[in-house]
Amino acid sequence: MLFEGVVEFVAGLSYGQVLAYFWPFFLLDMTRYLFLDVVVIIMYIPRRVFAKAKYSNARKRLYKERPLVSVIVPGKNEGKHIPRLASSLNHQTYKNIELIVVDDGSDDNTAEICRELERDGKIHCFIRNEVRGGKASAANTALKYSHGKYIVHVDADSHLALDAVETILLPFYMDSNIGAVGGDVRVANAEETIATRLQAIEYLKAISTGRTVSSELNILRIIAGAHGAFRRDVLDRLYGWDVGPGLDGDITLKIRKLGFRVVHEPMAICYTNVPITFRRLAKQRFRWDRSMVRFRVRKHRDVLLPSARFSFANFMATAENIFFNIILDIKWWIYFIQMVMFHPEQLEYIFIINYVLYFMANILEFIVACALLRQSLRPKDYFLALFLPLIPIYTGLFLRIVRSYAYIMEFLHGASYMDKWNPWKVSRVAKREKL
Amino acid sequence: MRKPYYIKTNDDQVAPANVESIALDRVGSLAIEDVSYWLVDMRIWQEGWQTVCELRRNLSPKVYLRPIIYLMESMDMPTEIHKAADGHVNTMSVDSAIIEDWVSRVEHINHWINHLSKVDSAQDSNIAFKVLRIITSRNIELKPITTIRRSSGYVYPVLEPLFAKRDTGVMETLSFLESQHLLTPAFVSKAHYCSHCGSAFLNFKESCTHCSSDDLTLDELVHHFKCAYTAEMSEFKQGDQLQCPKCERQLRHIGVDYDKPSMVYHCNQCSHTFQDPKIVTECYNCGRSVEPENQEVRVIQSYTVSAIGLNAAEYGLEALFTNLLDAELHLYSSNAFRDFFNVEAARINRYKVTSSSLAMIQFRDLDQLYIKLGSRAQEVFAELSTIFKTVLRQSDVITARNESIFFVIMTETKKEHAYRAVERLREGVTALFKNNLDFTPELVVGVEEINEQLDLEKTLEAFLENNAI
Repeated sequence: MLFEGVVEFVAGLSYGQVLAYFWPFFLLDMTRYLFLDVVVIIMYIPRRVFAKAKYSNARKRLYKERPLVSVIVPGKNEGKHIPRLASSLNHQTYKNIELIVVDDGSDDNTAEICRELERDGKIHCFIRNEVRGGKASAANTALKYSHGKYIVHVDADSHLALDAVETILLPFYMDSNIGAVGGDVRVANAEETIATRLQAIEYLKAISTGRTVSSELNILRIIAGAHGAFRRDVLDRLYGWDVGPGLDGDITLKIRKLGFRVVHEPMAICYTNVPITFRRLAKQRFRWDRSMVRFRVRKHRDVLLPSARFSFANFMATAENIFFNIILDIKWWIYFIQMVMFHPEQLEYIFIINYVLYFMANILEFIVACALLRQSLRPKDYFLALFLPLIPIYTGLFLRIVRSYAYIMEFLHGASYMDKWNPWKVSRVAKREKL
Repeated sequence: MRKPYYIKTNDDQVAPANVESIALDRVGSLAIEDVSYWLVDMRIWQEGWQTVCELRRNLSPKVYLRPIIYLMESMDMPTEIHKAADGHVNTMSVDSAIIEDWVSRVEHINHWINHLSKVDSAQDSNIAFKVLRIITSRNIELKPITTIRRSSGYVYPVLEPLFAKRDTGVMETLSFLESQHLLTPAFVSKAHYCSHCGSAFLNFKESCTHCSSDDLTLDELVHHFKCAYTAEMSEFKQGDQLQCPKCERQLRHIGVDYDKPSMVYHCNQCSHTFQDPKIVTECYNCGRSVEPENQEVRVIQSYTVSAIGLNAAEYGLEALFTNLLDAELHLYSSNAFRDFFNVEAARINRYKVTSSSLAMIQFRDLDQLYIKLGSRAQEVFAELSTIFKTVLRQSDVITARNESIFFVIMTETKKEHAYRAVERLREGVTALFKNNLDFTPELVVGVEEINEQLDLEKTLEAFLENNAI
């Protein structure tokens, strides 16, 4: 009965009506996230295959120079994750690595665990800050005591694929203008809960595919804190990271402002643990989304304005981000109000058709991600496809509500300055200085 | 009336007015009731110290126990030598009154010496006994002092002249007297000693965890809140001010715009950075470097004489109960006892025919007995030894932990029979004291069947712990 009604409703629509009823999908989301992704990835895959010689050449140059690489891991109460991370570094194909861990005022047994690993030679330098200073200060402490030509920033609750360090360094040996390389981040604990499975699919779409596309379009705006490589001289010019939250997006833009390219390397894989409950996930995204407003709209709005140092690529990287994430977030509420006010009797059909459209789009995006990542996917990753029917609800409802709430709170209250993610003393100064 | 004697070791020395001189080799010839104290000339303290040592190392109690008063011009001598004397008089102010004053001040020591039996003819060759008598005669708490002139780092000044060799003899002697409950210890301090040579002179050094160098620099980290820049203090220093190298802001108030989250060591040899330096101790004496946890830690104690010690100092170590019991039954050393125990346990386990028992016996308030009995303690202990001999058999193996704790391996004796034996012992002891005194020391006993599963040390410790006073 319902199915027949939907079919009848669709069959009765003209092209104009289709656009009028489903404009968010056809005019915006399909164009930006499906069409553009498919086109760019279809072009990228053969280019990557043909660039094998270039990669091989870069690898030879890397091993000839054999620079010291500092893997820095700042964190609080992350001791339980460090042994696995240290072990994954010990088994890297690239061997000239030093591991620097900074404990940002942990109140658990992190210090004991790390001191033992330091004694065993698995951590090369462990610094414990008795007083918590926030992630940026911990990362800067690690940077201070690192000696490597390249700095790889890794989150403590992550571990690296065996060739991750080698692979993430290759772009530096292919283009001397690259200042930073983002590594791919996959979900380590995907099998734990429905929430982690949905995040695993989201990461494949948004990070593996999304950032590869952004990188190809030269509008990559973030190098994930979980896995990113930086040239040391570039970080030294910037004196490291600024106060967070959102410090990874902030430093990426600062590197772009210096005139360096930032790229994503989808074959340099890091596995990270994601929140296992929707409640914790909501808290994490609340923080991430607020930082978008704080850094894109406030701190770095200069890239949108004409100036002597204006860069079109930087303008696009920020403008695209602000437009599609912040401004278009409003579109859903407009669309929702439009449908409720003007088509209340077809609301049921419109919801079902939207769901089907986004479901199919997600299937296509999943196929694109699988095509891109091919050999790096594990058999169990393909089984994530079984959860694709839940993705439209997850991204279309859950994440959207969290995002809208975060934007409102940040615009109206500057909520990110109250975030416990930073110690109060730092948040207070950040707010006073309007950072 | 006792009088002081000036010990003359060479012809150049002149005794103060009204003080009689005597050559060092003639001190033993003086009548016991004549001498008040030895006046030793310490104006050349090295020579005087030789004299003090010879007096104290003399075997006759009427010589070595006698008070020694220094005649000195200044304090120009090591503290432990200065404090080894019973008193001091200054050459500038010495007169008859001062000399006489000291006679009365040391009279209590002389009084104790004089009431010892056979003091005229006695020869105390046992160093532990001499130590016990020195402490008892002075009625002092024997306190250690720190010194740089002994590798042990601590000395007991009063005992210094008794020991010819500068080794750990003093400590070992005191430890022995403590183990026999003759001295009561009190905690003073703890000290680390080189595990190789026993020297207390150890240099505790922080060293690099990579190259072991101790060429380290300690830096304070500074965290600027505004820009999250974190680096060593030296990077922020601009003359007297602190300025952030990243944002060029001046740092004004710690806790408001910056803080110091930690300290970091930097090795100037290998450039390694770390927070948890390796601590090593280097011995000044033998030069060996060892981790502190591998060095020996000793408890430094002061000592007072116990009730048993008072009795022993007066009547001799032979009067101790263990000595009497040893003569009657032959007490085995702890090591020999442990060997017997292991053999017996293995034998029983091998043949599984008979059983043997371990009896544990503790006298409580035995020191009260010494106090009450005084010189008669020896007689009572002789009777007590007879009771032990009657109850125990030739084949039983006995050891004494100290004066009041005894362990017995009762071979071929079932647990209930062993109980009966120790009960007989208790009855005998009770009867003995009931007939002679209005006081009976409490006897605590325990019996265990010997088998391979019985851990000797744990069993004995558990017995002592359960019956601790």
